[in-house]
Amino acid sequence: MASKWYSIAKAEYQVSTSSMRKSRTRNMILLLAFGLVWAIFLAPFMIGTITGLILPFEFLQILLVTILPGFMRAVMFFLWMMILIIPLSRALQEIKIGQWEILLSNDVRTRDILIGSFLGKLPIYGLLVLYLAPPFFALFFLAFEVTLIGQILIYLTLFIAVLSTIWLSNLITVAIQAKLGESPRGKDIANGVGILLAIVSIIPMYGIMFFSLQFSAILGLNVFLIFPFTWPADVISWITILFSQIGLTSNHILIFQQTLQFDINISTTLLSLFAAVCIIIGLASADRIFTYNIGARTEQITTIKGENVILRGIRKVASGSFGTLLVTCLKDFFRKASNLSRIAYGIILAIVLPFIMTQMILIVGRDSGGVDMMMVVMISGISMALIGSFAFSGTAFMESKDQLWIIQSTPSGTTRYVKARLIAGFLIALPLCIIPALAITIIITGTLATLGFLLIYGYIIICGAIMFSTGVTALNPYYEDTKSPEHQMNVMVTTMGVEFTILAPIMISLFGDILGLPFWDIIRSIAGSAGMPFAFAIIGMVALLIVGGGALLIGTRRLAQPEV
Amino acid sequence: MYNGVSIETQKLNKQFGPVHAVRNLTLQVREGSRFGFLGPNGAGKTTTVRILSGLMKPSSGTATVCGLPLASKRNEIKAITGLLPETPGLYSKLSAVEFLEFIGALNGRNGKALNGRIDRLLAILGLESRQDDLLESYSSGMKQKVLIASTILHEPKLVFLDEPTARLDPSASAIVKELIGILAESTGTTFFICTHQTSFAEDVCDQIGIINEGQLVALGPVEELIETSKAKDLENAYLQIVGGKVDREALLAWR
Ligand SMILES: Nc1ncnc2c1ncn2[C@@H]1O[C@H](COP(=O)(O)OP(=O)(O)OP(=O)(O)O)[C@@H](O)[C@H]1O
Ligand SMILES: [Mg+2]
Repeated sequence: MASKWYSIAKAEYQVSTSSMRKSRTRNMILLLAFGLVWAIFLAPFMIGTITGLILPFEFLQILLVTILPGFMRAVMFFLWMMILIIPLSRALQEIKIGQWEILLSNDVRTRDILIGSFLGKLPIYGLLVLYLAPPFFALFFLAFEVTLIGQILIYLTLFIAVLSTIWLSNLITVAIQAKLGESPRGKDIANGVGILLAIVSIIPMYGIMFFSLQFSAILGLNVFLIFPFTWPADVISWITILFSQIGLTSNHILIFQQTLQFDINISTTLLSLFAAVCIIIGLASADRIFTYNIGARTEQITTIKGENVILRGIRKVASGSFGTLLVTCLKDFFRKASNLSRIAYGIILAIVLPFIMTQMILIVGRDSGGVDMMMVVMISGISMALIGSFAFSGTAFMESKDQLWIIQSTPSGTTRYVKARLIAGFLIALPLCIIPALAITIIITGTLATLGFLLIYGYIIICGAIMFSTGVTALNPYYEDTKSPEHQMNVMVTTMGVEFTILAPIMISLFGDILGLPFWDIIRSIAGSAGMPFAFAIIGMVALLIVGGGALLIGTRRLAQPEV
Repeated sequence: MYNGVSIETQKLNKQFGPVHAVRNLTLQVREGSRFGFLGPNGAGKTTTVRILSGLMKPSSGTATVCGLPLASKRNEIKAITGLLPETPGLYSKLSAVEFLEFIGALNGRNGKALNGRIDRLLAILGLESRQDDLLESYSSGMKQKVLIASTILHEPKLVFLDEPTARLDPSASAIVKELIGILAESTGTTFFICTHQTSFAEDVCDQIGIINEGQLVALGPVEELIETSKAKDLENAYLQIVGGKVDREALLAWR
């Protein structure tokens, strides 16, 4: 019995290290050895040299001493993100029903799965931390001249924090997978939830990046005290201070006390409690709250009933076979949970982003009075482009290569199919632009005219983004696998390409101004000062339509070509 | 328009880097015939089908399909041919009816006539009770049936079937056999069938081509192949031509 968790751990480990399977053990030992050397000697040495070159150390020291607590929390937050949320959303996106069946057919207990997959994950995440953490810590070790014992205690704290986080992430993953496995539409939901989770994890990141100043002003750092990642961070901060050899006065310590709020005892207790509770919950719940059942295959059979009003309307307007293609594309798009959550992702970003950015404008522009229309144009452009790229660059054309063969084997099939996809996208974009346009108008307290402008501008930008992403996907097709390198590539190219294209006119004009080229003045003389933002909006739209149209044309051509 | 020849190839070649998948393939398939294409795994059958259906460019050589030159009339050829790919690539989120509607639309058809055909085809294949279920819940054989229906939906003159019965149960195979026979007889549809099931080929096909390592090694009517290789059935003839002597020693050696 005892060997079952061991086998699972081994399999998990082998999967995570499959890229170096030829000499796995030797490489892992080398990696570990080098990691230790890196943590103990190289990283401190490197950091010392580099910072010495950039800033006089005394100056840096003062800076570091002041930012220690906040910085430590940020570092721990990113670590937490990395080992809690990333594996979670990854695991959800590839829910392994097939694997469960194998495990189940071998009569494995949930607790074995839990322990096995935890231990299997340890080496690779452990290494990750071993390589990523030392540069940050080395900086503070240097600045505070932390004693060796202090350093060891800090790494120990980090170790406990990492272990408990991995345990927690693993527990949630296993639980969600088991629960979803019971649910008939589990795979579908998992796909959607996986992406949503990525969103949820990104928003606080934006928030922290943009809001941290205001947060601390309004709430102090209090909010952070409820997040578990704060506790190890504070313990580390405390150890750094208490084991420092630079002679901090009691006054210093008082200041830290005020920032950190909890003293070392409370923070340590919280951290230990957190770790203990995680482990206890895991072990206790394993065979009770959730169990793997033979239920993984009970996929619900969904029977399609008649078409809704909208689809019937489309068929009326676009009778003929093209209308059928269009309707099919819409059905296919909306029946995939991952597309829906991608749209949600885009919309949430498109609301949160302008909100955060207008906050900044308001802060910056408080003296100049009024809202700068140029900023509004830029922000809404960026947000709308995000919606378009996020919602559509992730959608694969097909589920398999054979689907492509089927479509290609019909006369002009690929061209007509891409056209149908595109127009389906344009239709979906109609409701999509409304929400962010409304949100931005409300945030900047704009007029109806502003709303009208944002609607039209936003719609065209989203459509441009759809054209661009469709073209990119056609150039580099992939098949429903959100982890394939092609998919990552396409999302990146689309997002960056679209954002860059709409902002390019403004950037080029600004740079031209610096270089003595009079683009900025020319546009001003044509559009007038008040018309400038709109002029740039129009130029940006046209640029996006040209670039997107070009990508689309090339992509469709390529896709229609017989394979060489 | 064309003189009773459905497929004609001249020295077709296809190379994937070092792999010579098809070598100097010269072949004629009569209109209305049921051509069985046999050969070991990796022999080049699927590659040939992809070339002939206009999905892949040959490295060299020419071909005419239904009297149309392959190099210049791809779209016209696609309009009058149907293809069943090797593995089922269906839309998991569409129902069988919706999928077939989609394929029909890709071939420029829609409306009542198409829907009638879809219903009848699904009924023949025994899927009418499940026709509105999403394809994700279909078994692999059910998917295969839907795909077979999709290849003959638009009344093509020539149908490529790449292993049509690999996943089908015996009675579904029998239905497909009948379907092929009836279509070939009544509408003069030509079938180009890749298969590993010699008995299926023997029952259905009137012409057989055997390809091995990219090269056509035998061509002719079924009876002729059996006769010239002095075999008792097609399976034996195939084994003699391709060479498939079973070596018991080697089979046991792995233990
Ligand atoms: N896209 C491709 N890229 C590279 N090599 C390929 C490609 N397609 C096929 N091949 C190679 O061409 C050869 C013939 O493959 P093909 O798929 O035509 O065989 P087949 O006769 O259909 O085999 P099977 O009976 O297993 O389906 C094989 O060696 C295969 O590896
Ligand atoms: Mg094949």
